[in-house]
Amino acid sequence: MTEVTSDVRVIIAVAGKDWRGELRSRQLPIGAAFFGAVTLFVFGFALGPDRAALAQAAPGLLWLALILAGMLVVSRLQQLETDDGAGEQLALYPASRGAIYLGKVTAALPFLLLLGAVLLPATAVLYSVVIGPALPALVATIVLGSFGFAAVGTFYAGLTARMRAREILLPLLLLPVIAPLLLAAVRATVAALAGDPFSEVASWLGLLAAFDLVMVAVGAATYGTVLEE
Amino acid sequence: MNRAALPVRLLGIAAVLTIGAATWYGLFVVPPDLNQGDAQRILYIHVASAWHAFFSFGLAAAASVGWLIWRNPRFDAAALAFAEVGVLFTVSTIWAGMMWGKPVWGTYWQWEDPRLVTTALLLALYLGYLLVRRLTDDPVRRATRAAAVAIIAAVDIPIVHFSVTWWRGLHQGPTFGNPETILNPPAPGAFVTALLFMLFGVILLWAWLIIRRYQLARLEWIAEEAAQRAAVGVPA
Amino acid sequence: MPQTTIFVRPPGVPESAPAAVETRELSRLFGGGVALGGLSIRIEPGAAVMVEGSNGAGKTTLLRILATALRPSFGTVLLDGIDAVATPERVRPRIGLLGHATALYDDLTASENLRFAATMSGIPSPDVEPRIGTALARVEMASTANHRVGGFSAGMRRRVALARLLLGHPRLVLLDEPLTALDASAVDLLDGLLAEWAGQGTTVVIASHLADRLGAPIHGCLQLENGRLARVSGPGIAEVVPGREQLAAALPSASW
Repeated sequence: MTEVTSDVRVIIAVAGKDWRGELRSRQLPIGAAFFGAVTLFVFGFALGPDRAALAQAAPGLLWLALILAGMLVVSRLQQLETDDGAGEQLALYPASRGAIYLGKVTAALPFLLLLGAVLLPATAVLYSVVIGPALPALVATIVLGSFGFAAVGTFYAGLTARMRAREILLPLLLLPVIAPLLLAAVRATVAALAGDPFSEVASWLGLLAAFDLVMVAVGAATYGTVLEE
Repeated sequence: MNRAALPVRLLGIAAVLTIGAATWYGLFVVPPDLNQGDAQRILYIHVASAWHAFFSFGLAAAASVGWLIWRNPRFDAAALAFAEVGVLFTVSTIWAGMMWGKPVWGTYWQWEDPRLVTTALLLALYLGYLLVRRLTDDPVRRATRAAAVAIIAAVDIPIVHFSVTWWRGLHQGPTFGNPETILNPPAPGAFVTALLFMLFGVILLWAWLIIRRYQLARLEWIAEEAAQRAAVGVPA
Repeated sequence: MPQTTIFVRPPGVPESAPAAVETRELSRLFGGGVALGGLSIRIEPGAAVMVEGSNGAGKTTLLRILATALRPSFGTVLLDGIDAVATPERVRPRIGLLGHATALYDDLTASENLRFAATMSGIPSPDVEPRIGTALARVEMASTANHRVGGFSAGMRRRVALARLLLGHPRLVLLDEPLTALDASAVDLLDGLLAEWAGQGTTVVIASHLADRLGAPIHGCLQLENGRLARVSGPGIAEVVPGREQLAAALPSASW
């Protein structure tokens, strides 16, 4: 068997077992989506009932809710490896570290996309945002944003898994790194909802794609440091 | 290390003297700027700090790559020295930037300045780096985890800068490119001299701090290993 | 001081060129505390070694280092002559570890857990299902193969973890407290496996404080105290390099 096919087999195995387990227990998809929706709702309280103000803040709030709920996704998927010492066993398999990392990133992706699928309509309803023709651009933004978040979040969830104060450390490390992702995704969302008057959506999506590629490459190259004890 | 003690001490003394002289020159010899007045004097230290802050973090990431490849503790000591000194210069950059921003822009914090925002994120990324080091007991594990954080931070920084620049460029007009606040030095020669003078002093100070912090990190590593060897009774 | 090296060799088996396990000055510290201090042992292929000691004596640390799950602070580990610290990826395919934790995913069934392990170990696809069937039958878990592991008792989890070990053909088997939560029939099962491994020339290292429950022959017993070798005994302790008198003095008291 060539190395590429065995790497693909590892990626599918790692992502597949996470999907299978989480779809069976349904803890993660339901819990994260519910948390994201509640977050959006509470933001409404924080900003007050002014419809115009809410609509203007909507893109930023949507992405904050996605990122907060997304942190639950990557922590939970890491927790599966930590619970019964499975992560240690994972490190002992003769499989490439990069493939294991890509498997965990792939595992997180559909859960993050599901969050987007729940939170985007919730934003439209709660904050009186009209999506309409902006939908394709918004979907592209959510796909690229979710991938970049999965790439960095999976890495840092793994890195902090066996550290003291990991609950504090994960957001502290993760949020500054994904700052450009947040910025680009929010700007793309704002522009798309406004009908892209300055044709800037494509530029922001390009920046998101560049972030995704750089982070997934660095993550795959250095994931050995996460599994190493 | 004793052999190198005297040159390093001389370097430290030279750094203090040069910065002292550059400060005197910048404060009392250069005339005030026509637009910014005395506020421009802060720029000498601000610019020099900023260059060294970014330079340090690039080197910290390079040393981290070295650690991951060769696993030589000297690389870890170097990465720590670059990162810690880098944090010092980053704080100095942000502080000087805010002091300058208040009189010139009327605000301490200018979201539209990509350099200021990038520098603040740089600080957050490397405080995370230092925290990861602090929270890991085993020296090898510490060096490895920290190296990963330093490398991710280093590839993130250009993207951060790019995104913040675009944010300003695509979304809003150049609100701080107000002609009133652009530098307009009455004696450009003296201004450039003061800038280079301070830059030279800061280079000396930076080099001295890096060397001393590296030496300290090496001593810490050696002491840690000696204590461990003593505890298990295994001679080196 | 010359370092004492303990040799463990099944009786009648000559010393082989590369030992199955050879450690020199093996040490590990956790936050300044000594978990393992300067352990030098040499285990010949096919030997069964018991590592005894109270909680915190260093048994698990030793096994995790031999399994390449933990890097030693100092010292070397050679497995079949290969440096396991510098090149862990070269020795991993030949090691089977039953760790302290069972390393199973609660929301997956027993056979799904084994399928994942088989794929990750690089077992060719056509072999995966037959091997899972054989392994689960061997640990008498075939009837619960499609039940979620999360609903299993501690003993059943241990059996599934043992089945994972049987998927491959390890040359070195490391068992950390394998008797925990096992009932009498599972202990018999383990005895049978130990006899099988002995017949195949597989080296086995067992960490346990319940050693007398096992009936299978043990060639050497290493007693750890505070991370250091306190006593050795057993028919396979072939040689003790002089240096630690209390170890030599302990030899006649072999209880095996």
